[in-house]
Amino acid sequence: MPLLYFQILANGLVLGGLYACIASGFSLVWGVQNVINILHGSFIVLGAYLAYFAHLHAGIHPFLSILIAIPVFFAIGYGLQRMMINRIIAAPVLLTLTLTFGLDLMLQNGMIMAFTADFKKLVLDPPLGTIALGEVVLPVDRLAAMALALALTAMLYLILSRSRIGRAIVAVRMDREAAALMGVNVARIYAITFGLGVMMAGASGPLLAMIFPISPLGGPAYLGKAFVICVLGGLGSVPGAMIGGLVLGVVESFGALWFGPEHAVTLSFSLLILMLLFRPHGLLGRKGYE
Amino acid sequence: MNRALLLGAALALGTAAAGAAHAQDVIRVGAPLPITGPLSPEAKKQQRGYDLWAETVNKRGGVKVGAKRMKVEIVYVDYQSNTPRAVQAAEKLITQDKVDFLFSPFGSGATKAASSVSEKYQVPTVAATASSAQVYDQGYKYLFGTFTPNDTLTEPLADIVGREAAGVRRVAILARNDLFPLAIAQEMEKSAKKRGLNVVYFEKYAIGTLDHASALSQIKSMSPHWIFATGYTNDLILLRKQMADQRIEAPVVTMIAAPAYQDWIDGTGKLSQNVTSAAWWHPAVRYKGKDVFGTTENYVKLFRAAYGALPDYAEASASAAGAMLQLAIEKAGSIDRTKVRDALSAMNEMTFWGPVKFGPNGQITSLEPPVFQIQNGKPTVIHPKAIRQGELQLGVSN
Repeated sequence: MPLLYFQILANGLVLGGLYACIASGFSLVWGVQNVINILHGSFIVLGAYLAYFAHLHAGIHPFLSILIAIPVFFAIGYGLQRMMINRIIAAPVLLTLTLTFGLDLMLQNGMIMAFTADFKKLVLDPPLGTIALGEVVLPVDRLAAMALALALTAMLYLILSRSRIGRAIVAVRMDREAAALMGVNVARIYAITFGLGVMMAGASGPLLAMIFPISPLGGPAYLGKAFVICVLGGLGSVPGAMIGGLVLGVVESFGALWFGPEHAVTLSFSLLILMLLFRPHGLLGRKGYE
Repeated sequence: MNRALLLGAALALGTAAAGAAHAQDVIRVGAPLPITGPLSPEAKKQQRGYDLWAETVNKRGGVKVGAKRMKVEIVYVDYQSNTPRAVQAAEKLITQDKVDFLFSPFGSGATKAASSVSEKYQVPTVAATASSAQVYDQGYKYLFGTFTPNDTLTEPLADIVGREAAGVRRVAILARNDLFPLAIAQEMEKSAKKRGLNVVYFEKYAIGTLDHASALSQIKSMSPHWIFATGYTNDLILLRKQMADQRIEAPVVTMIAAPAYQDWIDGTGKLSQNVTSAAWWHPAVRYKGKDVFGTTENYVKLFRAAYGALPDYAEASASAAGAMLQLAIEKAGSIDRTKVRDALSAMNEMTFWGPVKFGPNGQITSLEPPVFQIQNGKPTVIHPKAIRQGELQLGVSN
């Protein structure tokens, strides 16, 4: 029995790594720009398709596809913010939510037309496989997702705390008007932030393509997880998504063991409601950003 | 002035008459389908099956109704994978689009929900993808189904495993918490217990589950000989992948319903090897039908010519639904709904799909569903004997 607990804990932690991967870019955009980017889930799916087709037609390993996805998705995000979202960024949050919701519907239907609604799956031959620590078995692809989430989180942390652009992002988050008065180009900073958020969605796509079947309509499931993770971890905190993801992964894993797998999803949304009631700024978030 | 009025009236009458004449030459069949949303791949299969039937019939001049020939037209309505909307779609097809007959929406759940509408309006309805007993035990007179009850899949499976895998004692069952996947899992539990097998694990997972690791760790800790998992394509790709992630192996692994689909085989790659499954039909069956498609071989040939792929049971079932409706209309010699219903009810015909005879509840009773196993990336029939292509191979590993 104790062995089972170790395995469940390990399952929860690697699942958490995956969740952190899904949520990190979403958390950044929401925390800094106060934009709830409904497109986030579908960008992950688009990143997964990129890896799938690159592997199918050119034999490109999904790890390499991540390197392709990074500039491509940064450009998409930057352009999208510059051309569309910046126009209504000062409007109430509901308006940007509606805009990204509409764009998401377009992207989903565009993907159905381009890729059909059939499920696809990136199958590596040989597969990445598993490693065993004693009797506990861990899949390598999920470990890689965890590593990527850590790397992206660390990179983001460094950008925000060390670089000029990062300081500008933080300044805009704290006080948009004051930052503008100090000579910060707010529109550009928003575009860079959104670009980073979309880049993280696109970069996690190739990893998820190895794990989940890909469907044009898979985005909302990822988005639902991202919401819970952000509320758990706290907005405005870079490591929040990492911690939120890990907590959610472990809670769901033990929840499935103790209450049955049919209640794992219910459990994660119950957790969301409890957090909103008792600690709306999340585990690591700072008050005022919730 | 008067003249103009008269002319107008004549024109209007003429148009109406032309419309009526047009309506009489065409049999309209309504098909509410989940064309968008998570079930859209299933809708596409249904559409391919119905379209192939309509094209084949129309190419041959149409359905013979008494002395004349009538073309068929399928009227599709998208219910966006949302069951309450499937009911509305069925009602709209009957009351607004004025269809003559109906095909059911996808799956047991939506079929059951929409059947109350077609019963209310007394529209003969053929269900191409519903097998669960709960759909047919409502005492309805206008609903007919092409799938035999769920236990006709689990009973032969349990027989074969009992006969050819002597060491199998412990069974673990993991089911998607959804009408059909759960119902067939419960049938499996009965079939296993009847044979003295020990069901050590029976759990459900929620629709939309993204992770099965916990359930699988628990299953692994019980070292079952037979793992039986139910769900649809995306669920079972993920489940098979996560079994490998935890190095779970067993002499027998059965999954229903996905392995009959090429998407599942492609999506699992080598992990598909030796996974068993059962379905209501397989392109390897051989029947000489009296329907528009004739033999099973001819159906497979026509399907290949149209879509460049082998038909799976869901696609064939949709075509079969059309073929059965056609046989009933031709027998009735009319498109009168009551007469067609009676003809369906009394039907005893051979088709490319197999022998067709419905029980008193409207569900087909005459089919013997094949059991198959994925061997080297191909579904290989292992039962019934008459069409067997290979033997059951034991051992599902990673």
